[in-house]
Amino acid sequence: MTWIIVTISIILFTLLVGIAFYNSLIKKKNDVENAFASIDVMLKKRYDLIPAIVEAVKGYMKHERALLEEITALRAEAISDNITDDQRVDLENKIGKGLSELLVAVENYPDLKASHNFLHLQGSLNEVEEQLAASRRFYNAAVTLFNNSVEVFPSNIIASLMNFRRKSLFEIPKAERTNIDAKELMERR
Amino acid sequence: MSRFKNFREFYEKELRSDLEIIDQKRKRVNRRVFCILSLTAMAVTAEILLIPDTLDLLRGMIPFLTGVAGMILTGIFSRSYRKEYKKRIIARLTNYVDEGLTYTPEGSVSLSGFLKSGIFPSQCDRFRGEDHFTGMMGKTAIEFSEVHAEQRNRSESGSSQQNEFTTIFRGLFIVADFNKHFRTRTAVLPDNAERIFGKFGQSLQSISSDRGKLIRLEDPLFEKEFCVYGDDQVEARYILTPSLMQRIMAFRQKWKTRIYLSFRDSNVYIAIPLNKNLFEMRPFKTVANYSFMEKNLRFLILLTDIVEDLNLNTRIWTKE
Repeated sequence: MTWIIVTISIILFTLLVGIAFYNSLIKKKNDVENAFASIDVMLKKRYDLIPAIVEAVKGYMKHERALLEEITALRAEAISDNITDDQRVDLENKIGKGLSELLVAVENYPDLKASHNFLHLQGSLNEVEEQLAASRRFYNAAVTLFNNSVEVFPSNIIASLMNFRRKSLFEIPKAERTNIDAKELMERR
Repeated sequence: MSRFKNFREFYEKELRSDLEIIDQKRKRVNRRVFCILSLTAMAVTAEILLIPDTLDLLRGMIPFLTGVAGMILTGIFSRSYRKEYKKRIIARLTNYVDEGLTYTPEGSVSLSGFLKSGIFPSQCDRFRGEDHFTGMMGKTAIEFSEVHAEQRNRSESGSSQQNEFTTIFRGLFIVADFNKHFRTRTAVLPDNAERIFGKFGQSLQSISSDRGKLIRLEDPLFEKEFCVYGDDQVEARYILTPSLMQRIMAFRQKWKTRIYLSFRDSNVYIAIPLNKNLFEMRPFKTVANYSFMEKNLRFLILLTDIVEDLNLNTRIWTKE
């Protein structure tokens, strides 16, 4: 009789622990998805902003036509449905690089720098870029927690049963990793 | 640095003569206070000796009341020159540090502003403040003052109820316009749990509170010093950029004390606990002294540098 109670207790205990780990893993997976969705929201904001920026600068910028066309083309490609996640990340990096180059080129056009409309758009772009960086950092924090659970014993047993694999972290672009130099940004403005 | 370099000249031209006048008053008042205290002591002694049965409650009260009256008179006399010192000297010193700032000796950050920060419990039964500074520093609207917030605890002794007050916060409280728009709440609090209990402390933090969810940031040094709570994981990170985290760390080291921050309604609220009464005169030492005034100047600059320390004047986002 006793051994039956002991066996049932062990099974119940194992089951409860298994459910707790399972729930925790699902919660972490959902956090990762949630974080990824927040990146999407910020990228959408960035896409919405690009045409307005291109429109605001193209009247002033005579020598950067190629750059403007490239940014517009990259945006069109990025919002199309038939691209893989890897291609999309690559496109996003290129768009980010293109926008940075554009802001540097603005230095050569004092009239543009003085335009209220452009200053507002530049402020919005800075805002979106920082929100994007914040979303990526949230994603990385969520992925780190998820990866820890996938690899650490005993939750790794449940994770392998559920076919959960380690996820890769977002590589934060170098420009975002270095601290913002306020003086430089103010001068740029 | 130029503020320090030119301060000697400012002191000689603008402050010295007034300080000497105030100092004369201080000496005069001190003499009066000494007389009052001596007379009070004599009166109390005489009452004790001459009233035959001092154990009688009513008669015992007379020396006590005489003592209290002496102390009150002393306070009234010394208040007059302290007030003058603040109005004439500290106000001018404030203008010297930043012309955009106004100083009100009796003013304070409002109770609603203090409670809105959400840093401390929402029940506050006694709230006092003084030395209120307010104004624009560059593009940043800022106000700060000394604050003493207390909570009432009722205790019953026998048939009577007694009120006891415990301090919730005493120190400097600052409200400044933050340079970004945001909608949710984020609080940065000293991390006592993690410092004491290590990793287990992290689990304790996540049990959390009404301040929102625990937010784990990627800077390990920052995480060791502070714990962050917020309503929105992304917005908390939008506010607390790696650069701002480093600035907060440097700010904490500069003040060498615990600091509390809260971001709410596009404002930043900062609480710095201090056990010192700031911008006061020295009753038994001369105030017409350059190094004493320089000390006040240093403190005022340390305070006003908050805008620079937290980079609040950088307006590269949509908030003007």
